[in-house]
Parts: sequence; structure tokens; C-alpha cells
Amino acid sequence: MAVLAIAAFVRSVFYLGYLSSELLRRKGRTILTLLGLALGVALVIVITSLSHGLDQAQKTALNPLSSIGTDLTVTVQPDGAGGAFANRTVSTDLSTLGKAGQHFSYDTFSSGSQTTFAQSQAKNVSSISGVTKIATGLTLTVTHQEGKVPKISTQITAGGQRLNVQGQTSPPTAAEMAKMASCLAKQEKSSSSSTTTTTTPSPQQGGSLTGGQGGPGQFGGSAAMRKCMPASMRRFSRTVTTKKQTITKNVKTPKTNIKTSTYTIGGVDTSRTDMGLITAAQVTKGRFLSKKNAREALVANSYASSHKLKLGSTLTIKKTKFRVVGLVQAPLGGQSADVYVPLTQLQTLSGQKKQINVVLVRAGKSSAVGTVQKKIESSFPTAQVASAKEEAAQISGSLVTASDLAKSLGLALSIIVIAMAIMLAALLTLSSIAKRVREIGTLRALGWSRRLVIRQIAAESLAQGIVGGAIGVVIGIAATAVINSFNLSLSASSKAAATTTGGGFRGFASNAQTATQSATSQVALHAPLAGSIILIGFALAVLGGLLAGATGALRAAQLRPADALRQVE
Amino acid sequence: MLAPPLYELRGATRSFRLGNSTIMAVDSMDVALDTEEFVALEGPSGSGKTTLLQLLGALDRPSSGKVFFEGRDLAALSDGELAELRLRSFGFIFQQFNLLTTLTAVQNVEAGLAPLGVSAGELRERSLAMLAEVGLRDRAFHLPSQMSGGEQQRVAIARALLAEPRVVLADEPTGNLDSKSGADVIALLTDLAARHGTTIIVATHDAGLAARAPRRLTMHDGRLVGDEKNGKKAKTTEKR
Ligand SMILES: Nc1ncnc2c1ncn2[C@@H]1O[C@H](COP(=O)(O)OP(=O)(O)OP(=O)(O)O)[C@@H](O)[C@H]1O
Ligand SMILES: [Mg+2]
Repeated sequence: MAVLAIAAFVRSVFYLGYLSSELLRRKGRTILTLLGLALGVALVIVITSLSHGLDQAQKTALNPLSSIGTDLTVTVQPDGAGGAFANRTVSTDLSTLGKAGQHFSYDTFSSGSQTTFAQSQAKNVSSISGVTKIATGLTLTVTHQEGKVPKISTQITAGGQRLNVQGQTSPPTAAEMAKMASCLAKQEKSSSSSTTTTTTPSPQQGGSLTGGQGGPGQFGGSAAMRKCMPASMRRFSRTVTTKKQTITKNVKTPKTNIKTSTYTIGGVDTSRTDMGLITAAQVTKGRFLSKKNAREALVANSYASSHKLKLGSTLTIKKTKFRVVGLVQAPLGGQSADVYVPLTQLQTLSGQKKQINVVLVRAGKSSAVGTVQKKIESSFPTAQVASAKEEAAQISGSLVTASDLAKSLGLALSIIVIAMAIMLAALLTLSSIAKRVREIGTLRALGWSRRLVIRQIAAESLAQGIVGGAIGVVIGIAATAVINSFNLSLSASSKAAATTTGGGFRGFASNAQTATQSATSQVALHAPLAGSIILIGFALAVLGGLLAGATGALRAAQLRPADALRQVE
Repeated sequence: MLAPPLYELRGATRSFRLGNSTIMAVDSMDVALDTEEFVALEGPSGSGKTTLLQLLGALDRPSSGKVFFEGRDLAALSDGELAELRLRSFGFIFQQFNLLTTLTAVQNVEAGLAPLGVSAGELRERSLAMLAEVGLRDRAFHLPSQMSGGEQQRVAIARALLAEPRVVLADEPTGNLDSKSGADVIALLTDLAARHGTTIIVATHDAGLAARAPRRLTMHDGRLVGDEKNGKKAKTTEKR
């Protein structure tokens, strides 16, 4: 074997020398061909890597449900079943928080537009045919308030009015009545206008006060009456003063340093790691929640970076400490959350024992998803069943644009680039062969067979393909590295992301986060270099060059040597 | 049993169709050539000398008629067999030298023998020896562009003779050379041919050169109009 190989090499020395002389002494043309090939290969590598990266980014962000192993989500709207924890606005009575100036921290949970229902109902979903797996979850919005208990700025004083209470004594005698009547008539004559009515101030506030309402001619109400009253009756008339009381009312927003923030929290069914509000696949750092239902939390990357949370950080939710064990790339969509804790932990914290508000469903076959969706909808009329496709349609942003671009342009672009690279190499090779027709005629005259001539020229193209391809691979890898070093990030946002409504103080219009949040996920565009891409790019250059060389040589060798020799250069 | 002549042409014709007209580059030639030391092929420009040499060198096939080389009908041979024949039996020398421009002198000479599959060492050795014979041992590693026309043609002669062919077909080998180097080339060619026992067929416009040839063929408009052997009219059609 070795002897044969050596013999073959020894016999091919001349041809190799010819090949290298041909490539090295026609530098301009060789460099041009190499550059064309290298550029093509580099572009193929860069474009394929980029579209690969986009694909990956898409999988993590644009297909929120599939990424968490889910085909359908089942939720219930508040007006439907009317769960125990329906949509409501959180309001806090500041006075219950403590004394003014005291620090307080307060978390309230709200379920938003997803009504909670009993966990046991999930079984009904799993019994529907076509459903292979289900997972349950509880997605809540946490309104976190923290600060000092404010001083109340407005006080209204009510009460303190003097009221006349007519003590009931024995009725006046007839003589007394006549005397009173004449006295009153006299009084009325002398000051007809000034002594008509006395009105008792009626309190605006104060609730329990029952003030007498003085009216014209009402008994015991006027000064004239008092004057004319017989002494026995006057004795019983005494003045009472209502108890003075202070009523506090939030007339204006009190000036406080209270900070209100909201975030979404997901209660994750930790019994499985491949399906749920979040799965092990989304963990980018650290680990998934343990099955022990421990006080562990997963935090979405974006939330972690904006709240300076790291692995091992402590997260306090309703005075309960959770340890951050993992960072996750939260999927976009309705079921996305900023923080994930074990389901039972969240149920306990929010006082929603055995309650959930979403059932995640996996259908056996992707083709069955539509049927399963209809079945669930008909079995649970109040349920909202969303499919992965519908969720994906809700997502927009530069990532979507980029991936749409990649989808529509990427393939076409790669094909064009590859075609152009091969065409360029082919044209250069063909033109170089066209200029070598006389040389080929000479070789044939020297006794070179057609096969030998083709082999020689194809070998030249092959060598060019290998060198050009190798240069292209180097350029491609470098260019991809440069692109990756820019840390480009694409955003994807989900319109219907936060279905929960943030709570706030009643009257705290400026602080309350009542607007529907839109979750945005920044996906770093990483163009992964796959060995296969490099190999394909390289193979394209080699094959392209070889093909062009062989075709050109075949054509030239097809000429009669006589005709080839007559060709003028 | 008479040995077949080196070449025998029977009504050999090579025509070219150009639009509506047909050009008879070689028109029904009947001629027999024996192993001779030197054949001159004369005729005005366009008379068909190059075309005839191409038929004799198996670079082209006749449109009609037959060309026999050592009794073998060239038209009956495959492309591969013709290539083999060109490699072993024919050597070509061109007016334009036709050296491979990217190869050195010695590589150019090697190109004439490489397809035989001899080892690299032997190939190099024989090529250098051949270059020494044409007086260019010291130019072995020069490129054609670094050599004079006469030197280039001597490299071409070395290349044509390396495989020790039966026939060397030279098409106006001195056409691009001055008279001094032209004479040198002819002297070299005849000398080497004599030593290697090679028949040389030279197409030429040089009447002086033709006059020295033992066999003189004259062409006009594709037809053979003159055939002299040692100054006497040769019997060109000896039917057997
Ligand atoms: N491939 C071709 N196509 C068309 N006509 C051709 C072709 N080859 C040769 N001819 C014609 O055949 C005729 C003979 O040409 P050839 O080259 O054999 O002449 P020649 O005697 O060698 O001339 P010169 O002395 O100028 O070299 C010419 O008229 C030429 O135009
Ligand atoms: Mg000619």
C-alpha cells in the first residue's frame, strides 16, 4: 500500500508542480478567484449562523407555549365562573398600617383577569381525550408597597354644636297658654321680621347626631317663644353639647415616601420539569426549582437585572424569604411571570389554598391541538383556551421583524449568496480556461489524454476551492465572532402579556399601576457557529470550484486539438 | 512482405464549412511517405500545410479519405489511442513555440513525457539531459518569458524529442525567428533527427531550407502540386 502510494506520489510530482506553478504564477487571477470563493463561504457561514441564532432566539421567545412544553392554556375569565378571587383593585387603608412614620412593607396579591378555581378541576381537563399531559399554575400580580406610614394631612372637626333639647314636662295650663299667646302676638308685632325662625346648625358630618330642626313656629325653638314661655317650662329647657369628635378623611393624596411596585409571580407545579409555567429548559443560570416545595424562586433574567438579583439572592414575598436558585428566560405570553415559586408556596402566601388559575395542556399530536382545543371549550364554556399559535401571534418586536426578515430573506439571501459565490468562481474558472484553450491544445498535441487534461484543470480548481474555502471559513468565523462581540439584542414583546391588573391605593391614581403591562423580553442575538455550517460552506466552495473547473475543462478538452491549437490567445 | 510506409494518404480531404462556402484545406491528397530523414512541405499561405500536418499528427480527422500511419487507419482509432500515438510516436513543434508559460524550461520538457507515468526522478533526469542536448542545460529553470525566441524553440524541440517519437511535425519552426537562430534551430533539428532516427516533416516558406530536404512536397489550394525525392519527381501513388 505504502509503496503504491509513494509510487503514485512520485508519478504525480510533475502534475503537482504544474498545478502550483499555474496557481502561483497567475497570481492576480488566483487571488481574485480565492477572494470570490472566500467571500461566498464567509457569507454563507455568517448568514447561516445568524439565521440559526435568530431561530434559537425565536424558539425561546416567539413560541412561548411550546418552549414550556405546552400546546394549550386553559384559563377562566372573571365574569364567567366568578371565582373567589376575582379581579379587584387593591386598596389599602393607610391607617391600618401603623403609626405615622413607621416603616411598613406590604404585599397584596391579585389574580387579575384570570379567575382562580379549584385545583381539583384540572383533573376534568386531563380526562378529555387527546390531552396527554397537564400542568397547573397560578399566576398572580403582586403589589408591593413599602415606605413610612404617612401623616394624615387634613382633619375635619365635627360636632360641638349646641342644641336645644326640649325637656318634656307637664303641659301648660290654659291660663299659661293664653298668656303665652298674647305675649307672642305682642312680640310678633314689635319685631315681625327678626324673630321668626331659628335654625339649628345641622352637622355635615358626625353620623350619630340627631339635631333638632328648627322651623318657623316650632315649639321651643325661637327666642320669642323662650321669652313668652312660662317659667316652669323654661326651667326644663337645657342645653346639651354634642360630643366632640374628629373624623379623618383622605381628602388629598397624603405626602408619603411609599413606593409601589408590581410584578408578576407564577406558582409552578414542581412535580415535573418539562412542562409548566416555566420548565428546566428556560433556566439560563443556576437550576430549576427542587421538587421539595422549598422556599426557592426562579427569577426572569430581565427582572433580575433590573432588580439586581443574582443566584443566591433573597427575595422577600409577603415577609417570607425565598432564595433565588435560578435565572430563567421567561417565555413571553399570558402565562409569563417575573418570579416563579413553587405552586403550594404561592397558594399559601396568597391565601389561595388549592387554587389555580391556569391549566397547561399538552396534546398528544400537534395535529390534534385544534380538536382538543374545541373539546375543552365545549366542556368548559367559561374557560378561555388559547393555543400556542394564538399566543405567538401576540408577540411583536424587533425579534419578530428580524425573524420574519430571516424567514423571508434569509433563505433567499443564502441561496443568492451561494449561487453568486459559485457563479463568480465558475466564471473566473471558465474565463481562465477560455484563455487556456491553446495551452490545452498543446497538451493534447503532446499526447495528454482528455481525461488527463480535465484532471489537471479540475485539480487546480479543487486546490483553489480548498484554499478559498479555508480562507472563507476563517473570515466567516472571525465575522461571526465580531457580530457576537457586539452583543446585539432583539426585543420581543407580548401585547397580552400581563392579564393581571396592578393594584394601588384607592385615590393614588398617579402611583397605581393600573395599565396593562406589556412584557418585553430582550433576546441576545447569538450567532452560533456550528461545525456543520463551516463544513457546508467549505464543501460548497470546493464543490463549486471543482464543478466549474471540471465543466470548463470538459468543454475545452472536447475541442479537437487542431481547433484548440488554432485558437488565438 | 513489404513493410507498410510510414504514412499513406488516400484521397485525404479536410474541408471547412464557413457559412455557405466550403473551404477545401486539404483536397483529396494521395501520398506515401517513408521513414526518411527530412520532409519539407512548401506552399503559399493558406495552401493547407498546417491542416495537413494536423492530419498527419492525429490532431484532426479527415473529412473524407484515409490517413494510414504505419498501416493503421487513424480514423479507426479512439481518442485515447490517438492520444497515446501523439505521446509516443509524434512530436510537434509550432511557429509560436507553444510553451506552457507558467512552467520552467525543464518542466515544459517534462510535460512531453509525463503522461507515460515514469517516476519524477527519471522524468527530471531525462528532461535535463534533453535540455543539455539542445544546449540549454543552464536555462533549465528559466521561464519561457525569460528566454529568447530561439531558446524557446529549442526547448520546444527538446520537448518534442524527449519521448523519442517516430515523427516530428514542425509547422514553420523558424517563422518567428531571425535567420541566424532559424538556421541554428534547423541544424539542431536535423542533427537530432539523424541521431534519434526520427523522421522530420517541416512546413516552411523558406525555399533554402526546402532545397536541402531530401523530400519536397508542394501544396496549392489544398492539393499536392509537387513531390520531389532527391530532386526527382516521386511516384506518389504506389498502389499495393
Ligand atoms: N478551423 C478552420 N475553419 C475554417 N477554415 C479553416 C480552418 N482551418 C484552416 N482553414 C482554412 O483552410 C485553409 C488552409 O489553412 P492552413 O492553415 O492549413 O494554411 P497554411 O498553408 O498553413 O497557411 P500559412 O502558410 O499561412 O500557415 C485556409 O484557407 C484557412 O483559412
Ligand atoms: Mg500554417
